[in-house]
Amino acid sequence: MKRLWIYLLAISLFSCQDEVDLPLATIDGVVPVIEGTWTEWNSYNVVRISLAQNYFDTTDRQIISEARVFITIPGTEKIIPFSYRPESFSFRPVNPRDVAKVGEIYQLFVEWQGKVFSAKGLMLEAPTVDSLTYEFQEERLFREEGYYIKVYGKIPFEEDNNYRIRVIENDTLKNDRDDYLLFDDTFGLKFFEEGLELGYAFEPGDRVGLELYRMNRDMFDYLSQLVNLLFSDGGLFSPPPQNPDTNIKVIRGESEVLGFFLVSPVLRENIFIRVDK
Amino acid sequence: MRLQVRFFLAWFLSIILLSIGNVSARESGVLSGEVLDVSNSEPLPGTNIYWENDVSTGVVADLDGKFQIKSVSLPARLVVSYLGFEKSIRTITQNDLDKPLRFFLKPEEMSLDEIIIIERRPDEQVKNLETGKATIPMETIRNIPALFGEVDLLRSLQLLPGVQTAGEGTTGLFVRGGSNDQNLIQIDGAPVYNASHFFGFFSVFNPDALDQVKLYKGNMPASFGGRLSSLIDVSLKSGNNEQIHGEGGIGSISSRLTIDGPLFSDKSTFVISARRTYADVFLKLSSDEDLQNNKLNFHDLSGKFSFVLGEKDKLTISSYEGADFLGLDESFGLGWMNWVSSAQWNRNISEKAFFDLQTYHSKYNYRVEFDDPDNGFEWKNKLSETGVKGQWTLLRGESVQTYWGFHSQYYRFAPIELVPAANSNIQPISTSPKNGVLNNLFAGMTYEISPKLSTEAGLRWGFYNQVGKGVDYIYSTELPESSDDITDSIQYNSLENIKFYQGLEPRIAFRYLINDQFSVKTAYNRNFQYVQIASNSSAGLPIDRWILAGTYVPPIRVDQVSVGLFHNFDENRWEFSVEGYYKDFRNIIDLKNGANVLFNDNVETEILVGNGWAYGAEFLLRKNIGKTTGWLAYTWSRTWRKIEGISEGQSYNPRYDRPNDITLVLNHEFSPSWSAGLTFVYTTGQAVSFPIGTYVADNQVFPLYSDLRNEDRYPNYHRMDASVTWKNADKGRKWRGSWNFSIYNLYGRKNPFAYEFRQIYNDDINYDQETDGPIVSSRPGTVMTYLFTFLPSITYNFRF
Repeated sequence: MKRLWIYLLAISLFSCQDEVDLPLATIDGVVPVIEGTWTEWNSYNVVRISLAQNYFDTTDRQIISEARVFITIPGTEKIIPFSYRPESFSFRPVNPRDVAKVGEIYQLFVEWQGKVFSAKGLMLEAPTVDSLTYEFQEERLFREEGYYIKVYGKIPFEEDNNYRIRVIENDTLKNDRDDYLLFDDTFGLKFFEEGLELGYAFEPGDRVGLELYRMNRDMFDYLSQLVNLLFSDGGLFSPPPQNPDTNIKVIRGESEVLGFFLVSPVLRENIFIRVDK
Repeated sequence: MRLQVRFFLAWFLSIILLSIGNVSARESGVLSGEVLDVSNSEPLPGTNIYWENDVSTGVVADLDGKFQIKSVSLPARLVVSYLGFEKSIRTITQNDLDKPLRFFLKPEEMSLDEIIIIERRPDEQVKNLETGKATIPMETIRNIPALFGEVDLLRSLQLLPGVQTAGEGTTGLFVRGGSNDQNLIQIDGAPVYNASHFFGFFSVFNPDALDQVKLYKGNMPASFGGRLSSLIDVSLKSGNNEQIHGEGGIGSISSRLTIDGPLFSDKSTFVISARRTYADVFLKLSSDEDLQNNKLNFHDLSGKFSFVLGEKDKLTISSYEGADFLGLDESFGLGWMNWVSSAQWNRNISEKAFFDLQTYHSKYNYRVEFDDPDNGFEWKNKLSETGVKGQWTLLRGESVQTYWGFHSQYYRFAPIELVPAANSNIQPISTSPKNGVLNNLFAGMTYEISPKLSTEAGLRWGFYNQVGKGVDYIYSTELPESSDDITDSIQYNSLENIKFYQGLEPRIAFRYLINDQFSVKTAYNRNFQYVQIASNSSAGLPIDRWILAGTYVPPIRVDQVSVGLFHNFDENRWEFSVEGYYKDFRNIIDLKNGANVLFNDNVETEILVGNGWAYGAEFLLRKNIGKTTGWLAYTWSRTWRKIEGISEGQSYNPRYDRPNDITLVLNHEFSPSWSAGLTFVYTTGQAVSFPIGTYVADNQVFPLYSDLRNEDRYPNYHRMDASVTWKNADKGRKWRGSWNFSIYNLYGRKNPFAYEFRQIYNDDINYDQETDGPIVSSRPGTVMTYLFTFLPSITYNFRF
């Protein structure tokens, strides 16, 4: 809907744009950013810690490697330790066989400079993806001409219907602000059974990968607010910009913290757009 | 008496002339014609008619306004002149001798401000009891340079002290720290729920259809209520009872036409007014095929019918309908519409007792349609207010005036419905309806305690019920925080009470007259408001969600204290005033981060409630009479909100907090044909939040904001507009045209409309990955969007 308003305004107003220099305030102290992902796939399981930097600071972003990172399963003695991997600038599970299991609650802990940050998430059951199809479509409103993929599946759940689809085109993650495909059951979930069309026009020869996440509501809200922020033009029609509500809490020390802890199953599918189709 | 003398002289001269001349109407070399008053087509006997280069051969029109004058060598200029009317000069050619000519003379034009002085006493602002009230004559509004040449009532009101705007070009009003939904905008007593066209860039008022507008900045009489911050009381023009008249204009983006006159007899009148834009016509001329298929238009239609039922009774019926439509590629449509109707019966019970009864119905609805084989839908909503108001007024001597009455309002907010198209894969959504009944009793009195001291006291008592048909939810938590906390729901039948509130709204004002030119006034007002918009954007959108006070959303309240000094000087040619105010807001709402209220049946879970306050001083210097008229206004004001859950619970400024606001409005009449207008606006920039840093999350670079809201400011806003109006020299014809040439933002100031903080790729703010190649550089940047630099427009206006 936001795209629509922007489009309407763009066509209807006599607007111009310039790049300008604005004096901006700077960050007081350091603000750690924690990005934790915990799935049933070892290759997806990662915790990255970095620091926020001043707006116009173009130096390399500071990565935190000196931190203690682990995941626990509340109510058990189980501890899943992470270690820093310089090659990926991230923390990875020490034991690659430690992965998320459906129905478990996982709690992430990050200890850094005497502060402790923590977040929880429930590993949910994944929905079913039955098939992927593609079909050539003429140009439509907001859609270019091209091959469009439809995802057919089943979502049998009454609650926790918070989903995200990530699309990888020829090994490149589609990661623009337009590329966040988030949906819940506000408009029902019938469209998933009848075929959810991905909003990309593909070409013959494209290899398309698809990842479907089912996440907890706080994580879904976090991503929704991220998208809102990406689309905020700071104008009269936008709400006042706010940082997304992180699900990470400071449980020791005084600090701000940004980021998220995503606990989710990941359904992965691939399709090749054949030339002769 | 002067008119009788004029008639006698005319009759006498006619007799003399006829007895001497006895000229045939079709006599060769003789020009014949008649002279009429343009306002009522009555003849003007005694009018002087003469050739400009031969004054001695003049004649005088007879009792029927007819005349004959011997021709001179043609072409020649004929002068038609009558005391109290504008002189008409027309070039006469040989062809004119063969036909009778009609000359319509216009009463000598006073500036509208002078007319206002006739309507209101010259010392009105000093001697009346009203503080925080402002009026702008419609003629002044017409002379203010306008965006796209579209004379706009609400944008003109923004030029008054104490009235702020949301931003460039928008018509939203923020009066003395109040938000846009705290203004009661009414047409002939009926409220208008969305008073803007085209996302707020134009207001719904066709200037030709309007009679007058009064702005009460909070200190309103007890007979009005329901909104906290202002009353914008707009009256539609009544028709004249003598003959058909018309006026209109052809502008850059719209045209308009108003017709008025007697209906059946001189006891009843009508006026019908229409306006329509033609932006969609220009879109069709675009070389871009995508734009050609788009639609973009709005229209207004209004009518007013007045009937004099007898010596003591008058009935007035008026209606306004206005709608917008935006269509994209025949696949998407967004439309919204206001329809407001009212009927008023005025009865003069006696010379000192009056009764007014009014009933009205106001409806607002919007509809969004998306034509798509998989996800098509129709999304619509409708809300309405129906009311009846009765008021008795009693004059008891010259020093006491009392009034009392009732005002009952029924709010009906229909469910928000999303209906999937046939074969659509999305599911329908429907929220529960919300209804409310507000009954008010009010009484007030104006009492002149002494020649110097007067008071106006009033009391309004509101009894509000949120009523069925509807549903109320029960939450496990003390405050509704999430729909997950719902433990039960209660269904209510039609008109069954859900929640009751009542509130007393005292209003009192004093005026002390220091001398004939100087007075001091003070006032205290309390207002309650039971309907509001749940939105956290500054500008109104057509799909804004209106909500009613209920179990979890209390009515909002304001207490306002104001004091003012009022001074007239130079024989009331100049007015000066300074007013100070303090307002205390209670139960103000805002929305949670990322709140979704559009399709939410539990809006209360998305709302945060808190308080606010505002204070300021308004200075106004105004010249009402003379060739040069206008005003200079300066407002110093602050507005604060304090709502738990926002800005770490600390007080913050809403976006429309503008501490300094200067406005200059000038209009100068150089000659009967030429006049010019100029406005200058300077305000502190909007209060906003700029990022303080960036961070990476989910493979994106995001701006990082402070937890404190609106700690930053846009650059100060300033703009100058100018206009020139040229009226065709009066040739005595009934059709009178004028051209208006306006320039909005004369010196091309780039006032920011928005700042976007985003990554700039390849040093190009318009970088497009598909057309501009691979990304070779990336850095954070600030992109400013601005509107309307040096925007000229031209409008042709006419009257007949």
